[in-house]
Amino acid sequence: MSYMTHFDVPTPDPALSRKAAIVGLGETDFHLDYQAARAKPDGYEAPTSESLAIKAFERALADSGLRREDIDGLGVNFLYGGPSSEEMAKTLGLTPRYTPERGGGICAGPLPVAATAIAEGKCDTIALIFSVATRSIGRTFGGNKMDDGPSSYYYHHPWGWSSQAAHWALIWTHYQQVYGAKEEDLAAVAVQLRQNAMRNPNAVMQSELTVEKYLASRYVVRPLHLFDLCLVNDGAVCLIVRRTDLAKGMAHAPVEIGGWGRASVTRNKMHTLVRERMRTQYQESGRQMLEMAGIGLGDVQHFEGYDASTIHLIDHLEGHGFVEPGQGLEFFKSGKAAIGGTLPVNTGGGILSGSYMHGWSHVAEIVRQLRHEAGPRQVKDVEVSMFSLAQTDQVHPVLFMRGAK
Amino acid sequence: MPQTRPDRKLGPGHDEFWAWCSKGELRLQRCKSCGGLSWPVIDACEHCGSTELEWEQMSGLGKVVSWCTFEHDYYRGVLPIPYDTIMVELAEGPIFISNPSGFGREDITFEMPVKLAFVDCVDSAGQFSLPVFAKA
Repeated sequence: MSYMTHFDVPTPDPALSRKAAIVGLGETDFHLDYQAARAKPDGYEAPTSESLAIKAFERALADSGLRREDIDGLGVNFLYGGPSSEEMAKTLGLTPRYTPERGGGICAGPLPVAATAIAEGKCDTIALIFSVATRSIGRTFGGNKMDDGPSSYYYHHPWGWSSQAAHWALIWTHYQQVYGAKEEDLAAVAVQLRQNAMRNPNAVMQSELTVEKYLASRYVVRPLHLFDLCLVNDGAVCLIVRRTDLAKGMAHAPVEIGGWGRASVTRNKMHTLVRERMRTQYQESGRQMLEMAGIGLGDVQHFEGYDASTIHLIDHLEGHGFVEPGQGLEFFKSGKAAIGGTLPVNTGGGILSGSYMHGWSHVAEIVRQLRHEAGPRQVKDVEVSMFSLAQTDQVHPVLFMRGAK
Repeated sequence: MPQTRPDRKLGPGHDEFWAWCSKGELRLQRCKSCGGLSWPVIDACEHCGSTELEWEQMSGLGKVVSWCTFEHDYYRGVLPIPYDTIMVELAEGPIFISNPSGFGREDITFEMPVKLAFVDCVDSAGQFSLPVFAKA
């Protein structure tokens, strides 16, 4: 597993704000591929990370309207192994002059890396490809096979405690005690994201979820139900990022990278994660991002948060200061997080109901929203969107703005 | 009969932790430079980076600040599901993930006091004493 540290994210710098823009987007068929992987019809061949990557790249190239020779940078992110950048360039018929050594497997790190490289003149137009065959390779997320990453991922095996889910479960129990929340309160998050997914034809999950269905679902790590935890599916996303001054007059409105931030937890990890819910890290990284972009938090009109779990999405909203601590669930229950609410959240379904692309599908959704091409789930007149990646010990938000076409 | 458990992480430092457990003592690493305690086992102090560490015995007192119950069989039958885990805040400060001894999920209240106990266990490396927590 390629585990990203904050050192993979370059220093936020106002001089780099809006200097690079996403001009091409390609995704694989998350919904159809998931159905096929479940049904395994006669002659079914599981996708590989390479086959998925090729599909996403070709779609992004077509979407951008660029020629193959316009691509002079290539970053590949195969979280669980795949071809090198050089091999991939050959396969795709590209001759990049810049291939980042490692931009981090998980989004959002690779975007600041690409934006910085473009500003430094290392390339003008870079294709970033993320691809995983997570389901087809049988990747598991707990138990003795967890033997890398942060120590909390593997150290507590003798007590039977492991998995990302277990981290979120401890947070949810603690949250319930501190704020007097009830188990069914968290259902509002899963239900809202499913409703968003049902307006996204490429979302893996399309059937309605109700509070009753949520409560009747099995526990994975109690108090977390099945629907509190993200999907596991195969897929790839390709984003083509270009120098902003070259991004005018193209097929779609450019989606400019306005700012980013990063903060990590280096000590007292479980205390910071569960007792403080990384508030310091959310606040610090968010401040960096807003300063770089020169705007305020109130200017954010659409939010995408890394929803590894329903309760983790609440951490993002409260941590960044969109709502007061303890108010996040009410924010969902009252519809303020819905499309049409005061701050639409994870409008494509997130990774809980949309597609588990480790942050890349959140950014893909931002691209569609800021292009004003999100169809039935379009956030009206949105100009500024924010993505926040947070794992168990780090936070990396990235701000995006709709540029002039 | 010792309980079968998933494998511990062993090696330099880790072995020393488990050796203290076998003597009935819970000892964590305290930094001689900044005085900070670290857990899990580290090579260098997580607070200041110093490698001057000493094993300090904990009082064994703490309180339960969170808990969760495993219903998914992550360990493929090694531990019978469901089973409870607790997040204990030791009196000395560090968080220690453990199991309840003599009580279960239904009995837990937020910040209830607990005290250290040991249970005989075995993993693929042999027998060991596992630190767990009973009601104080």
